[in-house]
Amino acid sequence: MVNFYLYLPEIFILVLILSTLTLGLLNRDSSITLNTIGFTLLSIFLMTNGYGIYLFSGFTESTINLVVLSKIILSLGSIIFILLLKRPLKNENLYRYEYILFVLFATLGSFVLISSNNFLTAFIGLELQSLSLYLMAAFNTKDLNSNEAGIKYFSLGALSSGFLLFGISMVYFDTGNFLFQNLNNFTYISEIGLSLILISLFFKVSAAPFHIWTPDVYEGSPTISTLFFATLPKFASLIFLFRVYHELNITDIESLNYIFQIVCAISLLVGAYGAITQKIIKRLLAFSSINHIGFILLGMMSYKLMSEGTLFFYLIVYLITTFGIFAVILNLRTVEGEVIKISDLNGLRFTSRPKAIALLVFLFSLAGIPPFAGFFAKFFILSASVNEGLYLLSIIAVISSVIAAFYYLSVIKNMFFNESKTELLLDNNKISSVVFIISALFVTLFFFYPDPLIDLVDTLFS
Amino acid sequence: MSFPILSLLILTPLIGALIISLSSSSQLNNQTIFISGLWITTGEFILSLLLPVFYDQKINGYQFKEFHTWFDKFDINYYLGVDGISIPLILLTTFLVPICLLCSLNSIKSRVKEYVIYFLLLESFIIGVFVSIDLVIFYVFFEAVLIPMFLIIGIWGGENRMYATFKFFLYTLAGSVLMLLAIVYIISVTNTGNIEIISNFKFGNQIELILFLCFFASFAVKVPMFPFHTWLPDAHVQAPTGGSVILAGVLLKLGGYGFMRLSIPFFDFASVYFQPLIFSLSCIAIVYTSIVALRQEDMKKMIAYSSVAHMGFVTIGIFTLTQDGMNGAYFQMISHGIVSAALFLIVGVVYERHHTRMISDYSGVTNIMPRYSFFFMIFMLASVGLPGTSGFVGEFLVILSTISVSVYLTIFTAIGVVLGAAYMLLLYKNVNFGDVKSDIKMLSDLNRIELFYFTCLATLTLLLGVYPKLLFKMIDQSIATGIL
Repeated sequence: MVNFYLYLPEIFILVLILSTLTLGLLNRDSSITLNTIGFTLLSIFLMTNGYGIYLFSGFTESTINLVVLSKIILSLGSIIFILLLKRPLKNENLYRYEYILFVLFATLGSFVLISSNNFLTAFIGLELQSLSLYLMAAFNTKDLNSNEAGIKYFSLGALSSGFLLFGISMVYFDTGNFLFQNLNNFTYISEIGLSLILISLFFKVSAAPFHIWTPDVYEGSPTISTLFFATLPKFASLIFLFRVYHELNITDIESLNYIFQIVCAISLLVGAYGAITQKIIKRLLAFSSINHIGFILLGMMSYKLMSEGTLFFYLIVYLITTFGIFAVILNLRTVEGEVIKISDLNGLRFTSRPKAIALLVFLFSLAGIPPFAGFFAKFFILSASVNEGLYLLSIIAVISSVIAAFYYLSVIKNMFFNESKTELLLDNNKISSVVFIISALFVTLFFFYPDPLIDLVDTLFS
Repeated sequence: MSFPILSLLILTPLIGALIISLSSSSQLNNQTIFISGLWITTGEFILSLLLPVFYDQKINGYQFKEFHTWFDKFDINYYLGVDGISIPLILLTTFLVPICLLCSLNSIKSRVKEYVIYFLLLESFIIGVFVSIDLVIFYVFFEAVLIPMFLIIGIWGGENRMYATFKFFLYTLAGSVLMLLAIVYIISVTNTGNIEIISNFKFGNQIELILFLCFFASFAVKVPMFPFHTWLPDAHVQAPTGGSVILAGVLLKLGGYGFMRLSIPFFDFASVYFQPLIFSLSCIAIVYTSIVALRQEDMKKMIAYSSVAHMGFVTIGIFTLTQDGMNGAYFQMISHGIVSAALFLIVGVVYERHHTRMISDYSGVTNIMPRYSFFFMIFMLASVGLPGTSGFVGEFLVILSTISVSVYLTIFTAIGVVLGAAYMLLLYKNVNFGDVKSDIKMLSDLNRIELFYFTCLATLTLLLGVYPKLLFKMIDQSIATGIL
């Protein structure tokens, strides 16, 4: 007998999708309202009732909380995203109701992915998520870049799905099982299979050296889609990677652990060096995200001695910062359209001081300079990794963050020191203004008073 | 004392900055903003004067302590306290910031509001470094200082300001992240960030060496020691006068302070082990940068190189690990803070009038600006280390203390003093004496504001030179018990 109560969040999103399908045909705006309300309800439900929900029995206690917390974050993020998406899409003449459907499908996929305890379910979730993302990348059908991004993303994504499936089948060949907790005694065949699975996941979270798609896709896609790629699906994939790492005890498998460490180091360095010469904001953010993925992988490897709180602190701060940065960028337009080049930000300080200051806060936070939350996020990860004895990786991490500081500073230089040459039009979008102001406040606040966040995470895990 | 004076010292400039930033710029003209900034910083200075008044020199350890928990989980606390080593530096900071604002009154015309705000933030962060006795908040303030300084050089600097400010930021950041790693390690081993407790902790020799080098990387860049000094001339040349003053006056002292406050108490073994390295680097710094300074054509650059040489005395003095050496080094820090700040102001005065810093563009200034060359002489002689000025006491004590370590060291430092006299006198001669150039005749002598702050600085220089006990009274006990 299936207990449907356990599937409630997923079923709820499915219902949302169906009603959006019908309602969206009649009225696009109402589908936004509907989904906002829907996700608000979902968040409230998860926050109050979350402990009771889990899928595919057999989770350890901590996993449930991990899943519930991630789902809460995902649904809160979805609310913000759905509220944000209308104006940018309208500006590009892309405001069609399918877009929201893709968002919903991707979110559904993320939910399934996070809570799956079985490789096949995970595959389904991941595919559902990815297919929606390909479509979102290519959503601006009139724009060649967007098409190119979509095709690139799709072909590389399909390749990585192939890796994933092949890996899963190898594991199945070896152990005859898909369930995580049954994968105990395996041979080298499973190890190869698992490494293929890991490669596919690394691709999804854009860890180097599987990152090549990231800058191109970020650049080509409509900015609002880039925001989505950079935040929620990536977050979900990271959580799944985290679960794979810990529930399969990859720490104990030497070869895989090496892969993890090498990928972490390469991500840190590629993210730092790759961005130096970039002239386009979204490419720069792509490389910056690769650098941050390196930090997150470092946190995953070393969270044992610390609480999950530290890792989640990093993830949440990163999510908030990314939302904030994109909210500012979406709020700005040049005569030609979206803000694309870093030099388009020249003299932003004169055009709009709040936006310039908010971006300053976000960039310093990403660079990990106090007094912003990014500092403690990095500090916790570093203390955990030093505790764990990962000295070399910690040194690489701090060196990479110095290099990264260089390009964050060069953006700040453009905003504060240069005079503007092209005229910036302010697209005074209230919602995105609210989003970036609140994000900036949070990023500052979490530095001075991070206890509530860490406590919240910890109570969920204890 | 339960009155939270240290927090108040940190908060006053912050609140001031907030008030100024919230006031709408249309109502206020530049003058008003400067004046309100001056009021705030002067208030801060008066507030900081309470510290030496209420500080009890007979008690060992930190006073005016404030303790608040910041993170329960990681035992990171907001833990403040001062002792004899921090108080003079705090006073130096609060003393120099109003002067920085005063000297910018005429030279800074654009974006005045931001200028004042960044200086207030800078002041607050610097004081934060000096009062924190928990490693994490020490690091936080230490790092946060970079942000306003980066903006000050970047916005109001000279032509090549981008290069200079990036170099400044990245050099310092690269040094400090290594310190961050060391701090993280120390906290994970000792489970506390409390400086007092860590001072008594034994790390084991091998580990101490590595940790020392990590801290060294950060402080050596800040001091700056040879070969990490190349950011300094660039930053100084490009920075506006106010920025140069605070940079030379206080920011360089963060390195020396870090050595005294953290490196030496934490790492007894490593401090002795690395003595030869630090002595040789400092000797190179003293002799090499003095020779480099001799050949400079830019006044600011010359004084910047002289700063490196003078800070070489400081590092030598600190690492002799004797009471004399430490006292001398500390005295040299304070004295250099006053004198080099004054020298940068001196350069700023003529730059503001003549818009060039090249030595060759000046000649015979003394005929046109007698008061100016009078003050120039006082500070020049103090920088050379003439007895009766503050520069003498520090250099003398440091040289004295080197004899107990090695005679070669004494020889090198003495050579440094001679070279110092050579380039400073050369500078003074070229600028002040000789034929009066035609375009010099247009220059006006010091105005009232400039007279005011030069008088303050000169008084202080002479006072410390004649009566050095004023400072030693404060620091003796702390150095004897806290560090050695």
